[in-house]
Amino acid sequence: MRTAFFFDLDGTVTRQEILPLLSKEIGLYSEMQVFTDATIRGMIPFDSSFKLRCKILNEIPISRAKQLISQVAVNETVVKFIRRHSDQCFIVTGNLDVWVSTLLDQIGAYYFCSSAEHDCDRLIGVRHILNKGSAVQEVKQRGNVERVVAIGDGMNDVDMFAQSDIRIAFGGVHEPVQTLIQMSDIVVYTEDALCRTLNTLL
Amino acid sequence: MSHVKHAIISAAGLGSRLGLDMPKCLLQINHKPIIEYQLELLRTVEDVRVVVGFLEDQVIDTIKRLRRDVVFIRNPLYRTTSTSYSLHLATKDLQDSFLIIDGDLLINPKSFETFLQRCNGQASIIGITRAKTEDAVFVEVQNQQIVRFHRRPQTDYEWCGVAFLKDLPINKDLIYIYEELEKRCPLDCHEIECYEIDTPADYQQAIQFFDHFDRLDVR
Repeated sequence: MRTAFFFDLDGTVTRQEILPLLSKEIGLYSEMQVFTDATIRGMIPFDSSFKLRCKILNEIPISRAKQLISQVAVNETVVKFIRRHSDQCFIVTGNLDVWVSTLLDQIGAYYFCSSAEHDCDRLIGVRHILNKGSAVQEVKQRGNVERVVAIGDGMNDVDMFAQSDIRIAFGGVHEPVQTLIQMSDIVVYTEDALCRTLNTLL
Repeated sequence: MSHVKHAIISAAGLGSRLGLDMPKCLLQINHKPIIEYQLELLRTVEDVRVVVGFLEDQVIDTIKRLRRDVVFIRNPLYRTTSTSYSLHLATKDLQDSFLIIDGDLLINPKSFETFLQRCNGQASIIGITRAKTEDAVFVEVQNQQIVRFHRRPQTDYEWCGVAFLKDLPINKDLIYIYEELEKRCPLDCHEIECYEIDTPADYQQAIQFFDHFDRLDVR
């Protein structure tokens, strides 16, 4: 594999944030949105914010959460790129395996995510939170990757950017955080511009 | 769609000789920033890339309101690097030929249109203009081809900062792009009416010539 592409999930592959989408189910959409925005911007550390948000959402049965998430709106052109080059694309998300696996299997890329503790259909808590930088390192250690391209928009993409060779800040869904823009080589604001750029990096 | 697939505007520089706390591509001519005129010229080009550096937030913010699918290439080393380095960053991964434009040029749209029509992908074409800048790169033209680039002696035409380059990669260690172009002579050329804005006097002159463009560009 010459180039490996690492995509953030929320706001990069998907057109909406997944946790606020889930929170509609329990009538806490705007509250969850505030929390999620603050986390993307780095006002609250991802790990503790994520645990708390999962705690709030754990009354939703896992099977229902999976179903809701598999209907999330995605950036079609980005998904098309990932499908066409599925052997060199990775989706990296802090979100939980039990929630996002159906969606990610539908997309068909390799993925890295956080893992949940659960009792059948009931979410108990977060077992392990993914560090996106470690995901990149793991793929690099397998060898045969010449360069890593990372695409993201939020504070939890910083570690992934730090481990990559080409960093693309994507503002197609929301404005990328300043820290990420300052680390990036390329900044784009539409999925067409993103995919056009990715095609030159294959 | 144009035959030109990629166009790169270099807009990373400081523009220190102008003495304004503003990137040169944002200078206003008739209530519009120069970059807006350039983006209009490139409306048929699918992939427009802008290299940003000095006050990049302002440049990105202005451009993304005008054309959202521009690809911004960051050159954080803009203070210590040359235009060649900026262009190297923007073109190193491109397989096709590409068009380069200096971000501080006010270009007559009619004359740019005829230049674009000549860029059919067969050969590199260098944009030249009547010599008028202080530190010009002069060109020696024979049989409608450039046979030499030089700083001295002065000739009637200079390289204007626009070029369509085929199989002509831009090395990051160059100081001046014309050093690379020089090696490839003879090169096809095409006259473009344009004004480079380096000094306050250039700016005044560009404003005056803008009115004259307008009359030429009745469509």
